[in-house]
Formats: sequence, structure tokens, C-alpha cells
Amino acid sequence: MTEYVVRRLLYGVLIVGLVTVFVFLVLRLIPGDVVRLQLANAPGVGEAQIDELTAALGLDQPLHAQLVTFLGDALHGDFGTSFQSQEPVTSLVAERLPITLQLGAMAILIGILAGVPLGLLSAVRHNSWLDQGMRLVSVAGISIPNFWLGLLLVTYLALYFGWSPPLVYQGPGQDLESNLLHMILPALALGASTMASIARMLRSSLLEVLHSNFIRAVRAKGAPETLVIFKHGVRNSVVPVFTLLGLQIGNILGGTVILESIFGIPGMGMLIFEAVQMRDYPVVLGCVVVYGAVFVLINLVVDLLYGVIDPRIRYARR
Amino acid sequence: MVQPNSRGFAAGTREPLLRVDDLHVEFDTPRGTVEAVGGISFEVDPDQTVAVVGESGSGKSVTALAILRLLEGGWISGGQVHWDGQDLVTADATAMRRVRGDDIAMIFQDPMTSLDPLYPIGNQIVEAIRLHRRISRRAARERAIELLEQVGIPDPRARVRSYPHQLSGGQRQRVMIAIALACSPRLLIADEPTTALDVTIEAQVLELIRELQREYHTALLLVTHDMGVVAEMADWVVVFYAGQVVEQGPAARVLGAPRHPYTEALLSAVPTPATDKALPLTVIDGAVPGLADMPPGCRFRARCAHAWQRCTDEPPLFELGEGRQSRCWLREGSEMDGAPVLPAADLSPAAGREVS
Ligand SMILES: Nc1ncnc2c1ncn2[C@@H]1O[C@H](COP(=O)(O)OP(=O)(O)OP(=O)(O)O)[C@@H](O)[C@H]1O
Ligand SMILES: [Mg+2]
Repeated sequence: MTEYVVRRLLYGVLIVGLVTVFVFLVLRLIPGDVVRLQLANAPGVGEAQIDELTAALGLDQPLHAQLVTFLGDALHGDFGTSFQSQEPVTSLVAERLPITLQLGAMAILIGILAGVPLGLLSAVRHNSWLDQGMRLVSVAGISIPNFWLGLLLVTYLALYFGWSPPLVYQGPGQDLESNLLHMILPALALGASTMASIARMLRSSLLEVLHSNFIRAVRAKGAPETLVIFKHGVRNSVVPVFTLLGLQIGNILGGTVILESIFGIPGMGMLIFEAVQMRDYPVVLGCVVVYGAVFVLINLVVDLLYGVIDPRIRYARR
Repeated sequence: MVQPNSRGFAAGTREPLLRVDDLHVEFDTPRGTVEAVGGISFEVDPDQTVAVVGESGSGKSVTALAILRLLEGGWISGGQVHWDGQDLVTADATAMRRVRGDDIAMIFQDPMTSLDPLYPIGNQIVEAIRLHRRISRRAARERAIELLEQVGIPDPRARVRSYPHQLSGGQRQRVMIAIALACSPRLLIADEPTTALDVTIEAQVLELIRELQREYHTALLLVTHDMGVVAEMADWVVVFYAGQVVEQGPAARVLGAPRHPYTEALLSAVPTPATDKALPLTVIDGAVPGLADMPPGCRFRARCAHAWQRCTDEPPLFELGEGRQSRCWLREGSEMDGAPVLPAADLSPAAGREVS
């Protein structure tokens, strides 16, 4: 078990490392030069100043040398400083990460709280109008892009109810109500597809379980339907739902980038969005590492939960 | 309304424990509605062992499941199941729940998939007890350990914590038996309880069932393919063919002198030590007709060595005395004195109506 966790963490580090290298290289392929972007508004800049700044940022070195320097520093926990604000990347990310985690957690919570009862109901009452309706809604939920749903939500709420989220972001410690009001729409937009996928997965997996032999045997004992469904049905159908949840984390993290920018939430999503625009390489890379680490860690937790649910799963060496 | 019981040994005074009366079961299939069970009637007396035999697809499992209303995708389209003064076919869900597991318990064909993989076996036995008995968790657990010991699981005190995947097939079936006996049911329905097990284990499990049946005074409805098992365990045998009873009677009599060509064929298909091993195994030629295209007349006609022109009419169940019945025109006229030609439903108020 411990061995399994350690091995998974090592794999995780490797994966995040590879992704970081990949992003490092891709960033340089995007046209646009960080130095020229920074100096664009300063009048009368000469080539000398440009060269000077380029050298100061270390960008005059050959690419592979830059990569080696970056990786060496990163392994020591030093991700450099922002080209833009000159702040250390680590402190920038530390400041923004909790906001994104809150948004992601709210989205997942919405997905679970709405998706689980929906999936349950439509499995138990399958082929009823409720089930048909749920299937329709979930196809919509899965296929509508989350940013578009976010925009729709803002527009319609403003148009028909005259309500719009607060303009200035407040931390949950400052003004919890305003914070939640600000977060709720992007969380809904992000959680919609999670909800739909969970509902669909739980429905099909529960339907299959409810037709299995041991469920019939439980009924033959004289068990009431509630016991059949909740004790034996749901627990047996939850493993594929967990797998799905692990994958949904990726969608949700990706979704934060654009939704935070739309809703003016100063989390990591907004940070990386702006950093890409300004070619602020250290910040982008710092964010990528953290996004990757969060994804890897959550999926590890999900995999460990399998073992809690299903006694047959043992984390043997594979 | 109770008609005299024509079974010799039941003497007509004792009510049977279970009386299945003209039971019909239908299924929806892509090819339309089919009748998998077409008017089955039989009885089980207290403490008695009734064997249900017949080829694959003859409706044995469907009948067993229909008694406890555990059918999936199918429904009971007619008939009654008399139990304890009520008709289980029309009983409400609560009444049904009280009967299941407490009065009538069931063991299934495949022990590998009949236990919930996510709970320790102790938990699943305790559940069976506490669904019907108001006793503490601790007392139920002690009882579970006792039951495990009775069904021959070694070291039961440690084994209660085992998960199903940690047990062998034979052990799992023993656990299923423990669950079935948890509330001392008056009837145990066992649907081919040993087909999934290998031969040595099969004998042990059957012996166990027989022992516990005596100890718990449980009647047994045993579905099986195996005529040897019938000979060894059954008091009464009901032979199914294509969703109908084609013959029934006291086991010794039916096995000794079958009165239906199908039973005859079934018996000759059983290899005995005397069978010449050089000859190919006897099998009954042909297959059970599909439910969707059942021919008119006798359903066994196409495979029967004795078929004649009479067989294009559907034969009724002829009464042969002592409760013996045969659905074959060859028995016409050989009915016992005083026993009128009656269809299967001879014990029901609807007696005299031909089952078609
Ligand atoms: N869910 C179902 N849907 C459609 N038809 C079914 C269903 N269950 C059973 N049947 C049909 O009912 C008939 C009787 O099946 P049943 O399972 O009772 O046979 P059986 O006598 O128990 O056979 P076996 O010895 O193989 O267990 C078969 O023809 C089968 O195809
Ligand atoms: Mg069967």
C-alpha cells in the first residue's frame, strides 16, 4: 500500500515533469516576444534596451540551456519570478490556488449533489418520463461547452431577473456572501457536465447491478427495496462513477481558466490566462506544474478510494 | 371448496404446505410475448422433498422464481400460489417480503455471483436474520457463526469476516445455505444448487442440504437435471417439458415405471455403471421447441418414439391414481377407477376445466 502510493507519486512527478517540458517548448512556438510585448508601450525604445532586457530575463541563452536552468531551479522549488510583476511565481500561485480550488470544489460538489440523485432516480424508475427527461438533460449537459453555459447564465439572469454577480471579487474571509454569489454561476457552469456525466454513469451502472444475481438473492431474503438499492445497489455501482470523477477533475481544472477570466475571479485560471497573453513564461509554467500536481493527487486519492469501497481491490505491485 | 386429495399418502385431509395451481408466466421478447410456463400445478407437503426435473429451458427456474415473485422481465399471467392461506400471486409487497427468507428461502444456481462482493459474509447472514427477527446485532452475529459452523465452514469465528471472493464456490454455496436457513424457513427452494460445483463438492452440498432439511423440518423444492439426485433425495417428482408438467408422481414409482415417453427418455439418458461405455451416450434427439413457435398438440410429439396421430391434439393430464399424472394419450383409458380424467388443476376449485 505505502509502496503503491510512493510509486504512484513518483510516476506523478514524472508525468508533471514531462508535461512541463512540453509546455515549456510549446510556449516558445507561440509567436510574440515577451520583451517586445513588455516594452511595446514604452516610447522610443532602442535595440540596445531590448537586448539588455532579453539578457536580464535569461532569454539570450540557447533554448536547451534555458530548459536545464529552469528544471534545475524547479527541482529546488524555485520557479523564478514573473516577467511582469517581478513577484516570485511560488507566492503568486500560492495566493491564487485556494480560489481555484474553491471554485473547483464547488463545481464538483454541485455535480455530485445533483448528479447522484438524478442517476439514482432514473435507474430506479427507468424508462419513466423522469428517466427520459434526465437523459435529455444529461446529453445537453455533456455537450454544451461550459464557458457558453456560463455566458448564458449571466445573460439570462441579468436580462430576466435583473441580477448579476458582484463586480469585485471578495475572498470568503472578507465577505462570504458576496464571494459565494460570485462563484455560484461559474461553479454551476463548470459542474453541469460533471452532473450530467455522473447521472448517466450511475444510471447505467446501477441498472446493471440491479439485474445481477446477488441482488435477486438479497430480494429473496425479504429485503425492502430501499435496502436493496442503497446498501447493495449503489455501493456496487459506484466504482465507475469514481473513475469518471477522476477524469472530470481534468475538465473542471481546464474550465477554470476560461470561466475565471469571464467572471473576473482572480484564481489560477485567470493568472495563467493573463500570463499566456503576456508570454510570462515562468508564471505559465508554475501554473502548469500546480494544475498537473492537483490532477495527479486527486486521481491518486480516487484510486485509493476504490480500495475502501471494494475489498477485492488490493494495491499489489503491478 | 377443498377437493379430496387424490394422493394416497396424503389421505386427503392434510393441506399441502405449498400449492401451485395452474401457474402461467409470460415474457416479452423481441419476437413478441411468449409463455414460458403454461399452466403448472403441483404441491409440496410439509417436510417433503419435491424434485422438479426437465431439460434446459423447460421453465423450472421460471417457476421457482415465480413462486417468490422474483421474476425479472416476466410476469405471472395466471394461476395461484397458495401458501399459508394466502395467494402469493396477488399478495402485496409487504406480505411478500415477510414470506421471502422467513417462510420460504431460496438458494440459486450460481454461488459465485449470489453474494454481494462488497460485504463480509457475516454481514450478509446477519442481514438475513435481522430482516425477520428482532434481535441485537451481537446476538445475530453469534447466530451467524453458529450457522456457518452448521454448514461446515471451518473456523467460523474468523470466517465471518471473510469476503465472498476469499471463499471457494463450494464454501459460497454453503454460505448461501446458511443464509437460507437463517430464519428456519418451512420451505427451501433450491434451483440447481450444485450445477456450478464439481462432483465431489456436489455430493457434500447435497448431503448437507439433506441433513439440515431434517434438522430444521424444512420442505424442499429441488430443481435438478440429475435423475440420480432425484432417486436419492426426492419423495415426489414433477417432470417439466416446454413449460408444462408432463408427468408427476411418487419418485420411486416414476423412476421405476415412468408413464410418459419423455420421462422414459430422460431416464434412459442417464448413464449407469451397467451402461456399455463403448456406445455413445444416449441423448434425446431434437430440441425443445421454441416458445414462440410451439406446435399444436403434444409438445413432445416431434421427438417422441411413440407418437401417433392422436398426438396432434393437446393431451390433458391423465390421473393414474396415487396422484400420479401423465400428459400422454397412451394413458387414456388407463386412469384409475373412480378417478376421472382431470386436467392438472384437479385440486383447484376450477377442477374439470381442461388446461390448454
Ligand atoms: N428474462 C427472460 N426473458 C425472456 N425469456 C425468458 C427469460 N427468462 C426465461 N425465459 C425463457 O423461459 C424459458 C424457461 O426458462 P428457465 O430458466 O425456467 O429454464 P430452466 O428449466 O430453468 O432451464 P435450465 O435447466 O437451463 O436452468 C426459456 O425458454 C427461457 O428462454
Ligand atoms: Mg434454471
